[in-house]
Formats: sequence, C-alpha cells, structure tokens
Amino acid sequence: MLELRGLDKSFPGVHALSDVSLRFAAGEIHGLVGENGAGKSTLMRLVTGLMEPDRGEVWFAGRRVRFRNTRESMAEGIQLVQQEIQVIPESTVAENLMLDKLVTRGWGVLDWPAIHAQARKHLEVVGLSVPPETIAKALSAAQKRLLQIAKALAARTRLLLLDEPTSCLGPHETAGLHTLLRELKAQGIALIYVTHKLEEVFALCDRVSVLRDGHHVGTHPVAGLDHDRLVRLMVGREVRDDRVGLRPVSGAPEMLRVEGLTRRGRAHDISFTLRAGEILGCYGLVGSGRTETARLLIGDDRADAGRVWVRGKPVALRSVTERVRRWRLGYVSEDRKEEGLLLGFSVLANLTLTVWERLVNRWTRRIDPASERALGRHWVDALGIQCGSLENPVRNLSGGNQQKICLAKWLAADCAILIIDEPTVGVDLGAKEQIHRVIRDLAAREGKAILLISSDMPEMIQLAHRILVFRDRRIVGEVVGEGTSCRSAAEISEAIGHFLN
Amino acid sequence: METPALTARTASALSVTAPRGEWFSGRTNGLILSFTVLFCLLAVWSPTFLSGYTMFVLARQVAFYALIALAQALCLVVGGMNLSVGAIGSMATVLLGLGLDTWGLSPWLAVPMTLGFGLASGWLNGVLIARLKLDSFIVTLSMMFLYMGLRSGISGGQSYRVPDSFTWAGQSEFVGVPLVFLVAVVVLAVMAWIFHQTVFGRYLLATGGNATAARLSGVPTGRMVVWANVLSGGFASLAAVLWASQLGAAAPETGDTWLIVSFAVAIIGGTGLSGGVISAFGLLMGAAIFLLIKHGLVEVKANPYFANAFLGLLILLTVVVDRAREMYVERVRERDPRSRSRAGERIPEGYQAP
Repeated sequence: MLELRGLDKSFPGVHALSDVSLRFAAGEIHGLVGENGAGKSTLMRLVTGLMEPDRGEVWFAGRRVRFRNTRESMAEGIQLVQQEIQVIPESTVAENLMLDKLVTRGWGVLDWPAIHAQARKHLEVVGLSVPPETIAKALSAAQKRLLQIAKALAARTRLLLLDEPTSCLGPHETAGLHTLLRELKAQGIALIYVTHKLEEVFALCDRVSVLRDGHHVGTHPVAGLDHDRLVRLMVGREVRDDRVGLRPVSGAPEMLRVEGLTRRGRAHDISFTLRAGEILGCYGLVGSGRTETARLLIGDDRADAGRVWVRGKPVALRSVTERVRRWRLGYVSEDRKEEGLLLGFSVLANLTLTVWERLVNRWTRRIDPASERALGRHWVDALGIQCGSLENPVRNLSGGNQQKICLAKWLAADCAILIIDEPTVGVDLGAKEQIHRVIRDLAAREGKAILLISSDMPEMIQLAHRILVFRDRRIVGEVVGEGTSCRSAAEISEAIGHFLN
Repeated sequence: METPALTARTASALSVTAPRGEWFSGRTNGLILSFTVLFCLLAVWSPTFLSGYTMFVLARQVAFYALIALAQALCLVVGGMNLSVGAIGSMATVLLGLGLDTWGLSPWLAVPMTLGFGLASGWLNGVLIARLKLDSFIVTLSMMFLYMGLRSGISGGQSYRVPDSFTWAGQSEFVGVPLVFLVAVVVLAVMAWIFHQTVFGRYLLATGGNATAARLSGVPTGRMVVWANVLSGGFASLAAVLWASQLGAAAPETGDTWLIVSFAVAIIGGTGLSGGVISAFGLLMGAAIFLLIKHGLVEVKANPYFANAFLGLLILLTVVVDRAREMYVERVRERDPRSRSRAGERIPEGYQAP
C-alpha cells in the first residue's frame, strides 16, 4: 500500500532520517517504535505531506506521490490521528465530525438534519454512542479519541496513521480501541501505529519497524519477538528492568496520614498513610481523582472535609507556600512545561526557586549568589542533569533533564514528602530509566516518603511498594504485596484491573 | 539528549553577548545604539540641543517618563497591566491640590496623603485582580474611568495653586543635574537591585514567568500581584507629586497622556509584555529614546497635530521588530529540533533571575 524508498531528511545540524526504506501493507497493523528523536514524527510528516523529503520517494498504491500538504494526502485517503486530542471543545460532536464536509441546502444554509444523520452514521463505525448534538467538551478522553478516529474514517480512508492513540486511555478503553483497529484491518485498511507502550505492539501489531537515530534498524513479525529483544533494538543496548517493587515497608515512621479528604466533584473520602522510605502508587486514569487529591494535599485547592497529619502533627489545609515551608511537602506536577518550570528562566533559578528564602542574608536581605550557585551545582551533579551551564534557560533542555529539574527543586528544599505526578510522560527510555532510579534511591537511601501518581502500569509495578487504585474520584482498592514475597507483574496488573472493573 | 560539550560552548558564547549582569544584554546594546544615533542626529541638526538648559529640561522629562513606565512595567512583569496609571496620577494630583490649596495643609501632610492614595488605589487594583481573580485589563480599565470621572468632578477642570516652598523638589538641581532625574535613577537602581538580589524581586519575576508553576512551587503569587499593583500605584502618585512640584501647580489633566507613554517606554525598554522580564536600565533608555524622538519631531517642525500618529507608529514598530526576532528564533529552533540550544536562542533579557 505504502512504500518508502530511501527517504532522507536533514535539519540544520541533525540528520533526522537517513535512507529509510519501508513497506506497509494493506490489511496490516504495522507498529512503529523508537525513542524520542528516533525519527518517527519526521517519518509521519513526510508521509502526510507536512514536510517534503530531501531525497527518496514515497509510493502510495502503486504510484509515486509528492504531497505538498495534508489536503493532498487526505485526498488520496491518508489520514493522521495526532497524539494530542484535537477537538473544538465548545462545538457539538456533529460539528467536530463534519466540519470539512458540512451539508448545505444551497446558499451556504446548513442542513442540520442531514448533518446529524451523517454524523450518527460515522459515530456508529467507531462504536461511539453519544448523540451528535453533545458538546464535545463533555466527552471523556476516550470518547474524544474515538471522535478523532471517526473523523479520520469519515473520509475514504486507505491508510490510517495513529500517533500514540492510547496515551490518555485506560486499559479498558485501550482494549476497545484495539478491537476497532482490528476491524479496520479486516476491511483492508493499512494502519501505522506509533507507540511508546511496547505491550501494545505485542497485543495489536502484525509487524513492527524500529527506528533508531534516524536509521531503520529492522522490521520484524511480532510473533517471533519478545519484549527484551524489542527494547534492545530500540535502545541499541541491553536494558533490563523487570523488577517488581511491591513489598510492604514496615517499621519506618509514618510521614503522612490522610483521613476522609473530600472536595466535592474532585475527590471523595480519600484515606491513606505513607511511611518514610515508602513509594505509594496512585493508579488510575486522568480525572479519577489522583491529581485532584495531590492538589488538596499541597493546599492548592481547599478541602470540604477531611484531616491530614504530617509526622503525626495535624495540618491545617492552607496555602501552598506554607505547605512547602513548614511541612516540607513537595509536588512535581504532571505537566512540567505549564505547571512545573519557568521555561524562560535559567536552570539555576528553577532549581533554587523553592529555597531563595533560606539563602537570604539576614541583614541585607540579599540572596547570597555564591551559596545559590553552589546549591544549583550540587543538584545538577547529583542528578546528572545535562544543562551545559547553569544560566541556560530550561526551555533548551530535553524532557528528561527538565523533569529532573522539577524533582531537584524539591530535593533542594529538603522536602521529606514528595508527591510525584506522572514523572515520565514524554521522556525517552534512557531518561525514564534514570528517573526511576532517582525515585527508587530517594525512597531507599534518603528515606523520602513518595506518593507516586501514574497511569503507566509497568512504571507503577516497578516502583511502588503499595498501589492505591483510583476510580470515579475515590480509592476503590489497594494492592499490597503478600508477606515479603513479591508478586509477579501479571498478578499485580490483574489485581488492579479487578478493582477498576 | 544534548551533547554537553556543545551546550556548554554555545552557552558561554551566548554569555558574551548577554553577560549575567543586568546592565548589558543584547537588547541593551540595541538601546544604547539607538540612543546614541538619535542623540548625535539631534546634536547636529539643532544648534540649541546641546545647551545646558535643553539638557536640563530633557533630563527632567526623562525622569518622569521612566517613573511612569516603571509603574506600568511593575504590573507587566507579574503578567498583568495597569491601564489606570494615568488616572491614578490625575487623581493624586487633584488630591494634592485639594490638600495644599483648598484645605491649606502643609506639604509634609499633603504629600504623604497623596502617596498614600497611590498605594491604596494600587492595593485595591491588586486585591480585585488577585483575590477575585479578575482580569487586570477590566479592573484597571474600570478604575481608570472611575478616577478620571472623580478628578474632573472634584476639580471642575481647574488647576490648584501650590505654595512656592513646594516647588523645591521639582525645580532644584544638584551639580547641574535635576533632582527629579536623580530621584528616578535612584528609584530604578533600587528596583534593579530588588529584582536581581532579593527574594521579593525574584518572586515578582517568577509570578510573571509562569504563575501556575510559581504558585505550585510555593511562591505566594497572589500576594506578589497585589504588591506589584501597590508599587505601581505608588510610583504613579510619586510621579504626580514631582510633576506638580515641577509645574508649580496641581493640574488635573496631569495623567492624561501617561497611559500611552507608560506602555511605549516600557515596551521600548524591553519589558516583556507577557511577564517575567524587566530591565531598569532599559526603562531609563526607553524613556530617553522616546523623549528624543518626541523632541526630534518638534525640532524638524513636524505638524504637532500629527504627533500622536508618530508615537503610535513607534510603539507598533517596536513590538513588530521584537516579534519578528522571536519568530526568527522559533523558526531556527523548529528547523533544528534536536540541538535546540544552538545559535539564535532567545536569551532572557534584563533582570531575569540569573
């Protein structure tokens, strides 16, 4: 269906794709994997006409094609479902779906009954059972994703490219999406499936192609492949991390106790305890109450009811400032760009922001530059942050290094309790490994009490000592290790799945 | 991940054009250059330009512009704006006139009362913006009309007389330099120090840099917004007091031109419109450049009725040039997604926290 011959694309200073030749067949789900910067996005852009290759040819359905924009590739039946959910929140489902093909009665007057009827038909294809008049922002993340796919399929589609379509879906919804994709495959559509979640490759794809540093390092039938081998192909070296973290931590002092914490509409009746040196996982989907609970704990949102103790002392739920200074509670946000970093500010300022007040000379009220730099230097070295100079704006850093800075500012503030929200979203495998090691060390060596929020199941299984399962703004279950024996990863995910359904 | 060697090299190369200090950044050089060119042009064009008297008058005017722009920049730096700078100035002038003329108060009472009003009106703006989470645009717009109306109603458009002793501050000099200019320079220097060296200043910058991230990092962002507005009101009223002293009368129309001046000077001086960036030296330079252009228009006998059109164009030109530079930098970065710390990187200017 689609054939790439010797595709080459360079940007100033970067050879993004070098001599990549690939074939994608109709009626096949073809996985495309690789670390961040391996060239997956560039490849997708070249196929859909968002960019043109420096060298090489794109052949589609037996013909050489040269798309100059997505309009041209769409006309040929190539549809891209982007990673970000793109819906117009204030418009209806039908309007979102039919925006580029609105039916009129002539003179530009819209024929709403016809539009809704067609929209209903397209929604049926993806099994999305909502009325077309629904306002799009009322949909769940999974429903929005389905809406996007419905939109892509509403045209005559022969090739469907999906860029991390399950990044915001839960296990149940992911399974549903996969069923849909298999049906599309049976209809003879070619699918290219880009993902970071390797378990999805094994669950869904027929063949998988691996990109590394812009090179095509191989295409393999999934049947003859195992997880470790695939990772080795992607990273180019051995990475083994199948540890299971689940085991009880006992004897250590209790750092945080939460009882009946409630904020109507956000989190209900949240109760748990957290010990020093313990990593307590909070598993659940976006909107299940995990992040909302974190916001209550750091005092960014006011609770309607409930009590919180830090190191046995009752805590009044007040401002974030007090929470940081007095109770040494740090929060690493899930959205480091919007909520974690001052992007235009230097590495140093971002690292020491939380401790400026402690670096002040008592008489002159001046922040001591020498101790500030020393502190910044210390944490850059301690976490291996690659930033060049401390004056470099954090905007210039890679995702992994930015994430380390988000962590380091709380370590600099000497926080004893850390709430870490989705620490490895959008960082590549190498950095993910490092961040996992840092989190593990913080608990094991430094005795930090860590509340780890994540919807990445393998991450949760590897790191957490206990796992709280969130659904519908409540804690619906807790998964603990039995005695001192570690349970297997499969058992743990089964247990979590049991609570979720 | 970047290669550390590359990053280190580019970073040190960049720091030649933008040393960590606050006084000279890439943008600052541009300001100094523009100022020098304008200054030389005027000196050649006009035989009276270099005279002591012209210099004295211009320096005094620069001081007012810089103070007014500082009042605006303080709100811009926390990510807001203050449309009521001029209205606060006018209202403060009327209050000063009322105190000195109508009520016959001593300047020692009337001046603190006026400054107090400035601080209080700024506080009110700040509280409405930060506590009720209202938009700074709509809050300060309403306040602008409120004070404009009050000052017209109270004064009836008439200027108030001030005692001769009161004109001392605005009219005296110190070794040939107007006292007002010295006041402005000291104020700017102190603000520069605060922004660069103190927690308070850094918190103001962080609030404008990314309010959510700052709040979640324990920065009391709400309080910072209130403080920025309090200071803004304070400096607006300080400028009003000095203006009345210089003029020898409390004229109710004092602040009418301040709004546009404050934005123009702040923008030319490199204050970030989206917050987080301010340069005290830039404000002083911006004020000087703005004034030289205005003065130049008089010298070349441009039709004064068109003067505002030139100034409007000047502001537009400044933001267009700034934006063009930003877009150029973004394009360079986009074309080059992996090594993002390469040439053309936008360097935070001015008093960005080091």
